[in-house]
This record gives sequence, C-alpha cells and structure tokens, in this order.
Amino acid sequence: MINFEEELKRFSPIPEVNQAEEAIYSNDLKDISDIVLQMTQDLRNTGSILDNAVSVRARRR
Amino acid sequence: MATTMRPVLCPHCGAQVRKNGYCSECYLPLSMLKKAQNTSNYYYNIGYDRASARDLSGAIESLLQALRYNKRNVPARNLLGLIYYEMGEAVQAMSEWVMSINYQQENNLATKYLKELKKDPARLESVDQLARKFNMAIQYAHSEDYDLSILQLKSALSDNPHFVKGYLLLALLYIGTDNYEKARVTLRRVLKIDKANSLAVHYLREMGDTEENIIEMRKQNVDNDGLLDDDYLEEIVVTEDGRAPKKIEKKNLFQEIKAKKDTSVVRTGQFGQVSLAKYSGLYMLLGLAFGVLLFSFFILPGQKKKLRVENEQLIKTYSEELAGKNSTINSLSAEVDSLTKQIDTLQNGAAQGETDLPDYSNVVSGMSDTDLQNMIDKE
Repeated sequence: MINFEEELKRFSPIPEVNQAEEAIYSNDLKDISDIVLQMTQDLRNTGSILDNAVSVRARRR
Repeated sequence: MATTMRPVLCPHCGAQVRKNGYCSECYLPLSMLKKAQNTSNYYYNIGYDRASARDLSGAIESLLQALRYNKRNVPARNLLGLIYYEMGEAVQAMSEWVMSINYQQENNLATKYLKELKKDPARLESVDQLARKFNMAIQYAHSEDYDLSILQLKSALSDNPHFVKGYLLLALLYIGTDNYEKARVTLRRVLKIDKANSLAVHYLREMGDTEENIIEMRKQNVDNDGLLDDDYLEEIVVTEDGRAPKKIEKKNLFQEIKAKKDTSVVRTGQFGQVSLAKYSGLYMLLGLAFGVLLFSFFILPGQKKKLRVENEQLIKTYSEELAGKNSTINSLSAEVDSLTKQIDTLQNGAAQGETDLPDYSNVVSGMSDTDLQNMIDKE
C-alpha cells in the first residue's frame, strides 16, 4: 500500500526562472574523466605524503 | 616531400597528447577517454531510441548515463534538455542547453532552442508560473491542505498539459484522498506522455492494476477524460477495503474491469468543490428575468403616468390654439362677407352710371376727322 507521507517526500520543488542561473551552476556533472583525474590527483597527493613520511623516517634513522 | 602530422588533442582539456598516449596537461590516457566517449555515444543512442518510443524517463536515465561517461556529449545534452522541456521542466531544459553551448558554441542546436525560448516572453512567464504553482502545491500538500494543492496543480496542468511531475503529485493527492478513479485518470495521462514512467506504474500497481491494465491504459485516448474540468458535487465512492471504486461519476473504460473485483460499496458522502462557473448561464437568465420584473412593476407604471400627463397637457395646448384659430377664421369670414357686399354695391352703381350716359354715336358718325379733333381740342 502506498505510504502517502513517504511518497510526498519524493516531490521536491522545481527551479523557477529566476533560479535558472543557480540550476546551471549546480548542473556541473562529473564525468568519468573528472573522476579519474580526481583519483590520480589524490594518489599523487597520497604518494607525496608517503614519500615525505619515508624520507622523514630515513632521516631519523 | 615532408607531411605535417596534425597533433592529437586531449578530449578532456584540449591539450596536445604525447607520443606515449597521455595528455601533456591532465595526464589522462587517450585510450581511456576514447572508450569513455564511445560508451557515452552508446548510451546516447539508447536514450535516443527510448525518447523516440516516448519512454521519456528511460531516455533521461540513458542520457544521464551518457553524460556520466562524457559530459561534453553535446547531442546527449541537447536531447536531455528537449526531454525536460517536453515534460514541462523548462528551467532544467534551459540549464542543459546553456551547458551544451558552453561546451560547443558553434553549430549547436541548443542555441536555436534557447533563442526560440527567449523570443517568447509569454512562454517564459508561463514557465515561471508553472514552477511557482507546483512549488506552492507541494507546500500545501505538506501542510495537509490537499484541496488547495489539487487546485494549484490543476491550474498548473491547464497551463502545461505535459507537466509530468504535476500529474504524479496530483495522482498521489487523489490516492491520499481515496479518489482512486481520478488518480487512475491522472496516471493514464502520465503514461500517455511518458510511457514507462516508473512512479506512475508503481502507483497503478499499488492500486491493484494488472500489467495488462497498464498496457491498455497507454493506448487509451485522454483528450476527453475531463480531468482538469471543474467538479460539481462530486461524490467519492470507495470500496470497503479502501481501494478501487465500484461506481464512478464519469464514464471510464476501467469500470468493467474494476466492477468484477469489487464486492460491496460504501458511500462516504464526501462532496467535492462546488463550481459556480457551470451555472453562470442560469444565473444570468435569472438575473435578467428579475430585472424585467423589477422594471415592469416599479419603473414602468411611473413612466406611463408621466407620459399620460404630458400627453394631456399637449392636447390642452393644441385645443386652445385651435379655438383661437377658429375665432380668427370666423372674424375673417365676416370681413370677407362685408367686403363682398361692398363690391357688389359698387359694381351695381357702376352699371347704373354706364346706362345714364347720353348716346353720342349718331353725332360722331356724321363728323369728319378734323371736326372731331377740333371738338376734342375745345373740350
């Protein structure tokens, strides 16, 4: 049986014309290349952190 | 003769791709980007086919998938915008078209779509009104003002009869107010616009409709279902289990199918909104008749009396004038008589004078001309 209250939550307001600019800015969809780029960026950062950690440890020794 | 090789550009950032197949700027592998483009085009084709078959929500799903692989897929974005526009979500459509133009300025269909939309300010105003009405309807629904919410949605849907989200919310409100038959009619309209709308199918299944019914619904004509008409004293009839109605106030093809399922009927005796618009003609006639009666009983006698008095006054004036003229005529007749008498008397006297003169003819006949001249000279 349909739960009216729960179903009502599915409906969200739609943007009005004066909110079109906002809608365009929020429409910045990430595609697969953006995700891969982000991942490589993160890996690089992690790599540099790891490198730093290794070098610090080596110095200590 | 040396041939110049055109540099391969990265589809992601536009920079030159190195010989090892990686972009010199973003370091993304060209092979991966090409695969992503191909997959995006594959989903675009699926989306296009679905849109052609009027499975709009399915097409949206595929096109969004296409954009997830390649957000620069301009045809996918343009088609997505077009589908949003068809479903009454013009702002979303505009957003997609603007993004499309952002990725490709020249030879882009989105430029034409946006130009056409901007050319018609009335259309933009109606789009804005639609969004406002829908948002207000959601607010009313959340505050449990279902009647107001339904009114707002009906108004929005009469502005744009392709607004799928509006129909879905309206159907949910009808379900919430136990008006299942109206919910069915509403959902049928959704299926006419978007053949496989998952939410519409879900609601229909929950209301007890079979797959065959749903398939049948897609074929039915929705032009004269009277969904957006005003209701007058609409009686809501529900079954004991609160599901499908046995009797409905409008003729519907599902009546027979549903009648088989139902066992007993309980009338809740609720009444819908009373529309004064339907009886406006009758009210006008009654008003006219009342006006005529008022005129004949109160205004007309006074007017008649006034006219009578005026006529009497006029007759009196003319009678007096006539009497005066008659007396003048009489005096003038008397004068004419006396003058006639005088003329007669004078004429008689003249006649008498003529007979009294002596006859000189015998004398004159014997005289010569010279004698006659002398005689005249003497005289």
